[in-house]
Amino acid sequence: MTPLSSTETDTGAEAEPQPDERREAWAARLADTLGDGYEERHIIPSSDLWVRLARDSWVGAATAARDQLGCQFFDWLSVIDWLPSPFGRDMDAQEDNPEPKTADPTEQGHAGGQTRFQMVMRLYSVTDHLGVTLKADLPDDDLTIDTLIGVYPGANWHEREAWEMFGIHFNGHPDLRNIYLPGEFEGNPLRKDFPLLARRVKPWPGIVDVELLPGEEGP
Amino acid sequence: MGLVASGKAPKPLTKLLNLGRKYSLWMYQWGLACCAIEMGAVIGSPRYDVMRLGVIPFPASPRQADLVVISGTVTDKMVPSILRLYQQMPDPKYVISMGSCANCGGPYWDSYSVTKGVDQIIPVDVYVPGCPPRPEALLEGILLLQERIGNEDPALRWRGDPIVVD
Amino acid sequence: MTAVGADQRQQLAYVATQAADARLNVEIETEGMTLNIGPQHPATHGTLRLVARLDGEQVVEAEPIMGYMHRGYEKLTEVRTYPQVTTLINRIDWLGSFANEVPFILAAEKLMEVEAPPRAQWIRTALFELSRIANITLFLGDMAVQLGALTPVFMAFRDREFVLNQIEAVTGGRFHPNFDRIGGLKDDLPKGWINDTKQAMEKIRDFCDEFEELVLGNEIFQARSRGIGIVPAAVGLSYGLSGANIRASGVDWDLRRDGHEALAYNHLDWRVWTHPEGDSFARYWVRLQETREATHMVEQLLDGLPSGPIMAKVPRIIKVPAGEAYAATENPLGKMGYYIVSKGDLVPFRVKIRSASFSNISITPWLLKGVYVPDIITILASLYFILGDIDR
Repeated sequence: MTPLSSTETDTGAEAEPQPDERREAWAARLADTLGDGYEERHIIPSSDLWVRLARDSWVGAATAARDQLGCQFFDWLSVIDWLPSPFGRDMDAQEDNPEPKTADPTEQGHAGGQTRFQMVMRLYSVTDHLGVTLKADLPDDDLTIDTLIGVYPGANWHEREAWEMFGIHFNGHPDLRNIYLPGEFEGNPLRKDFPLLARRVKPWPGIVDVELLPGEEGP
Repeated sequence: MGLVASGKAPKPLTKLLNLGRKYSLWMYQWGLACCAIEMGAVIGSPRYDVMRLGVIPFPASPRQADLVVISGTVTDKMVPSILRLYQQMPDPKYVISMGSCANCGGPYWDSYSVTKGVDQIIPVDVYVPGCPPRPEALLEGILLLQERIGNEDPALRWRGDPIVVD
Repeated sequence: MTAVGADQRQQLAYVATQAADARLNVEIETEGMTLNIGPQHPATHGTLRLVARLDGEQVVEAEPIMGYMHRGYEKLTEVRTYPQVTTLINRIDWLGSFANEVPFILAAEKLMEVEAPPRAQWIRTALFELSRIANITLFLGDMAVQLGALTPVFMAFRDREFVLNQIEAVTGGRFHPNFDRIGGLKDDLPKGWINDTKQAMEKIRDFCDEFEELVLGNEIFQARSRGIGIVPAAVGLSYGLSGANIRASGVDWDLRRDGHEALAYNHLDWRVWTHPEGDSFARYWVRLQETREATHMVEQLLDGLPSGPIMAKVPRIIKVPAGEAYAATENPLGKMGYYIVSKGDLVPFRVKIRSASFSNISITPWLLKGVYVPDIITILASLYFILGDIDR
């Protein structure tokens, strides 16, 4: 986001996005180091950088980011489940006139993707104050990826969380156990096809009221 | 206390016993989430100061407590501990459920890991609503509990029968 | 206390862990003992459980077990509309609630390409700093309790009320304001609030001065916290430590200054406090300085408050365009961020919550190796976590 003082003057400049040299350079360096492992990038100028990798380059990319880009800070690691929710759109009752919406299964966010599960990792450089979001697709029939503990020891708990919440297996992780849920819990809660039973039993009561914005007249 | 347990205690004696019990409640704090901080304010802040109501908030273990305040979200993982805590407390024992989460699940009514109300596992005497309740609300809950204790028949309570309040 | 460099500290910590292992194997043939702390223990302020394997007085291995406060935020955000999500995420870090809302709102604003008007940004920043004060004052009292001084926590609760009153006067909630909106704020400031807040800031500054002498100047406190739980900067970063924990290890990094979010920090005159030592004392010291700095920041914010609207033009029913955005701010506990994936619906498709305490506490198995049992409490207290922020 642009600093506050430029809000009034900024509107014209935003129409033509300026090239973001620092982030371009980061993406180029990752591409050089990883070769075939580098698949796609997406840059929102002066905002953020996404790079998609092959699954095999996952650890290599983290090492390169740490050693070459100076990303010492391990921010987080997680997974996105791109399956459209099989339980429909829960909050439709909130809308006055819900328009029918066709699910677009190919829409996979910035830097693309093909499969249902996508690994996401965020790294940050505390000296350059820049961050990068790395992504990697997991094939549907083999939900495994190498562990990052050797590069960032802080990945340990994040990987345990991903294992518990999505059922992703991390090769070489010493300690894949439940981190949050009791041992007898079944299922992977953050998968899209995991139902929230309380909601299935008692549907959301629907639109109650919508708070008026300041200065807006009531209906 | 054979006299009390047999139900033959004269009424003034029961009144006296109840008076003593209601102003020396040893309160065990089972602080779980946001409500724990408001409970902490009740205990620790000079502005609210629960001790002036005759509640002593520092028992060393549940075995020395008369009252437990369950304040905060009860998760399924926490349930065995709460059950065990309740079993350890000596009779007569009282439970205050503080906050929406402990009452009914609150904002996490549809969560996969939250128990929808602590009353599913242990009996609750007073529910304090709010998310989180103000410290004054917990004080009011304690006053209500004291009123209840004052009107109790200790014989029934100590035999473990259901409580009757008039 | 002689000053040691970062490399040397790391070496010292390494030697300590080696010594612990060696001792177990050779020197004393004691049977190991397992010590269970929690899940409900005053020292864990919340429901963290710690299982420590001991050899005599030394910890060989310690493992935090959490999940006793896991409430499933990330799943629940997928069935809440954007305005409803802020209600929920208030309760992650329950001591500095307003600060939880801000990064989420900023991420959603990024996706919607709206920006809050200047006045809203300034008030947002002021409330953000008030949350920080409300949060850290309690830490300042709490850690002293863990080290054996009971009085400070009463003083913390007493003076914290002044800040809570001010937050309540604006938002209507002592704890969970739910005041931030996509595109601005719910309401403007009430009359007379600015003067009252300035008076409250005076009181907090007195509180800080008092604590500087009473706690930081206390010999017992220093003896129990200096040199305990040293975190080398490089190790801390690789574990994802942030906030005052990493600034106490000498890393000059503060997202209020270095981040690019739409908040009013770059209009203020303030400084980032760091400490070279990286021990428990340093973490307490940095937090105390930050609290005092925050009172000055609030005063500057109130003096320079621009006029104008407090809400940008946003539709009545909020639908966030498809895309992904990440926003992170410097919350009282450290870096907190939200990664929002939207598919253009009323509800977020996926929200990844990066909470500070989860990463901050993930260093404990490394840090607790080789320390003595009483130091477990010191180290846990000084890392400062809130269970809702760990388990989410």
